[in-house]
Amino acid sequence: MKTNLKRQLLLSLLFACSALPGSFQAFAEDHEHHHQHETSLAAPDPANVSTDSVFNITDSWTAADGKTFQLSQLGGKPTVVAMVYTSCQYVCPLTVQNIKRIERALPAAQAGKVNFALFSFDPQRDTPAKLTEFAKLHSITSPSWVLAQGSESAVRKLAVTLGIKYKKVQSGDYEHDATISILDSNGVVKFQSNAMNKDIHDTTDALKALLH
Amino acid sequence: MLVPEGSFTPFFLKKDTANSSSATATVINAFWLDATPVTNRKFQAFVNKHPAWHPSNIRKIFTDSHYLAHWQNAQGSADTADLDKPVVNVSWFAAEAYCEAQDKRLPSTDEWEYALTDNGRDQENLQKQIINWYSTPNQELPAVGSKPPNGFGVFDLVGLIWEWTADFNSYMAPPDSRNSGEKNLFCGSGSLNASNLGDYAAFMRYSYRESLKGNFTGRNLGFRCAKDTK
Repeated sequence: MKTNLKRQLLLSLLFACSALPGSFQAFAEDHEHHHQHETSLAAPDPANVSTDSVFNITDSWTAADGKTFQLSQLGGKPTVVAMVYTSCQYVCPLTVQNIKRIERALPAAQAGKVNFALFSFDPQRDTPAKLTEFAKLHSITSPSWVLAQGSESAVRKLAVTLGIKYKKVQSGDYEHDATISILDSNGVVKFQSNAMNKDIHDTTDALKALLH
Repeated sequence: MLVPEGSFTPFFLKKDTANSSSATATVINAFWLDATPVTNRKFQAFVNKHPAWHPSNIRKIFTDSHYLAHWQNAQGSADTADLDKPVVNVSWFAAEAYCEAQDKRLPSTDEWEYALTDNGRDQENLQKQIINWYSTPNQELPAVGSKPPNGFGVFDLVGLIWEWTADFNSYMAPPDSRNSGEKNLFCGSGSLNASNLGDYAAFMRYSYRESLKGNFTGRNLGFRCAKDTK
């Protein structure tokens, strides 16, 4: 609790500083050491998960490499989250492209300090092999990215948590909201935007604000 | 109760593909549905066994601030007089966790609506009953099962409380994008195609579900569980 409060105070201080362009960079560098110390910690102990964190959901997901994980393992770094499915023709590829633009908008030193996570709506078709293929198709090679398959109920729970509406239609496709969510390192949703927005500035700023 | 296999025409037309819809009936496989909504008594037993869902322990992400607000005694448990009344003030997450703990699940919206249609029995009377209930101001809740069941043997689908469904957050009526010039490009698009525009009650139910978020609670919002037959 105390650490959380401290972190929050620090965060608000950093927010305040980021309004002053001159001191911004220097301050960020000062805290490089502190930040790295923090990210080197393992995934948070479930008992310490913040009460409003999505990490309170304990469903298992399977990554494209076949490894299973829980959402809390994304902890320690901010995470850019979207829900997609690989047979989707337009909305999902565009969502991925926009997340890649967000990634490119980060200074090189920061890109590695963010997780990018795509959760599939489609438990039947989006097997790890299919997710690997999708990653290849979109030139996703960075270890910062995770593509994941979950059970029908895990997908529903995550979507409900993120406020994402979706419905499977007769053809096997999904009608769905296209939303990009930014989670802080504790898994608390800090910002959400429409993934179809061409303008990614607000989303990128929300993410950068978590990186200092 | 075993609700037998059958079909019904949902209020919003079934989407064949992302871009076309039709009024053909939706087939529902047989499923088990609790005969009554979950009561305070049963939910109390669940909370006792799973203290993480006690009002003082529940994680904030899973509910708004009114979770079990009617459990007002010192222990934060249900009033004795309320034990057989339907549990309300529960979020979707709590309802889902309860059903999961019974090795059940929440019914899908289609299953719930299918159970309500009661295989087409006495639709006119049903409509009247629903509209009368929707137009009556909130009253003190009676015990579950106080009124006769429908033809499936299911009680209280009408006249008691609103109920959570597993996929309440389905995309039922997305904004009309047929004129956007990109209709073949969107994965998810459609239009407000209703099968029976006179069915205001159905419109209200779908609109109500559409307005919910998973952490919402309501004084008249409860749930019951379902289970596959396999």
